[in-house]
Amino acid sequence: MSALHTFAIGDTLPTELRDLLNSPEGPAFEQALDAMVRQREQTMFRALGQLARDLHDAVRGLGGDLAQDGIAGNVADARQYLQDALEMSATAAHRNIDFAERMQPQAEALTINAAEMLKWTQDNDPAAVLARESVMFADSCREGLADMVLAQSWQDLAGQRLKKVDTFIGTVESTLLELVRLTGALAGSDVPKSVVQISSQEDADRLLSEFGF
Amino acid sequence: MKILVVDDFSTMRRIVRNLLVELGFSGPLIQEAVDGENAIAMLRRTRFDLVVTDWNMPNMSGIDLLRAIRSEESLKGMPVLMVTAENNRDQIIAAAQAGVNSYIVKPFTAATLQEKLTRIFERIAASGAVA
Repeated sequence: MSALHTFAIGDTLPTELRDLLNSPEGPAFEQALDAMVRQREQTMFRALGQLARDLHDAVRGLGGDLAQDGIAGNVADARQYLQDALEMSATAAHRNIDFAERMQPQAEALTINAAEMLKWTQDNDPAAVLARESVMFADSCREGLADMVLAQSWQDLAGQRLKKVDTFIGTVESTLLELVRLTGALAGSDVPKSVVQISSQEDADRLLSEFGF
Repeated sequence: MKILVVDDFSTMRRIVRNLLVELGFSGPLIQEAVDGENAIAMLRRTRFDLVVTDWNMPNMSGIDLLRAIRSEESLKGMPVLMVTAENNRDQIIAAAQAGVNSYIVKPFTAATLQEKLTRIFERIAASGAVA
């Protein structure tokens, strides 16, 4: 039974391992087996680290894709573009509301003045016709200006989505860096400081390079 | 009536203010807060009659502000209208369970705002909570 077992294993194992298996030195065999497993683990962790690096590069590339004039270097640039878009859309919305708030009192004054004029004119008088048209126009303006103010709420909705994308990009980057940190640690490198402390692209690149990714 | 409008987006605060003025509320009596923390501090300092708050805000969200209001003896009866982009079922249920008086999904119209406010104050009057 024992001879048959040894023969079967011996057919599939490397020569060095088969020799160790057949030798009376148990500890030596275990050490060789550990070394082999560790070597395979390190290969796997290196591959995971490389994958994380590639993913991180892809996220960084997002900045470049967003750039219209010039090359955005990194995730920070991409996030800055989102912040810029948010601020510009808010500026546009405020200008629209400024305009509406400036015009609304004028439309109200026109309604009041035209209505007053109607009291002093005959029905068929051209001034009365003009006054009636003015009232209608002013009412229409007030309604339109109110709608214009309300339409700016789309800026709020768009802004909230931009914020979510910004948060998502930040989370992806942090997660990738954490993956790099863990795979680097598992592959046998010293564990660096927590990625929570990373605040710049330079920090991120430094961490990645510490693990050779 | 003194109203506190809470939203981290300045555009939305202006829009809600404009709508409230359009509905006949006094502009000078409408005050603004940029998040829940800012709002709760203002509510502790000054008496308001209504809070109109957004849901998604930094520091303290609208739902946390609502819970904070309901947990404070001096503020727990405050009418709170939530104005938010969040229209998923769980969040609406969470707001209802936290004691929101009404809930509006953005974007909305002045007519919708008026309808919700009318209903809030009708219910409060019916319950005898307010004279």
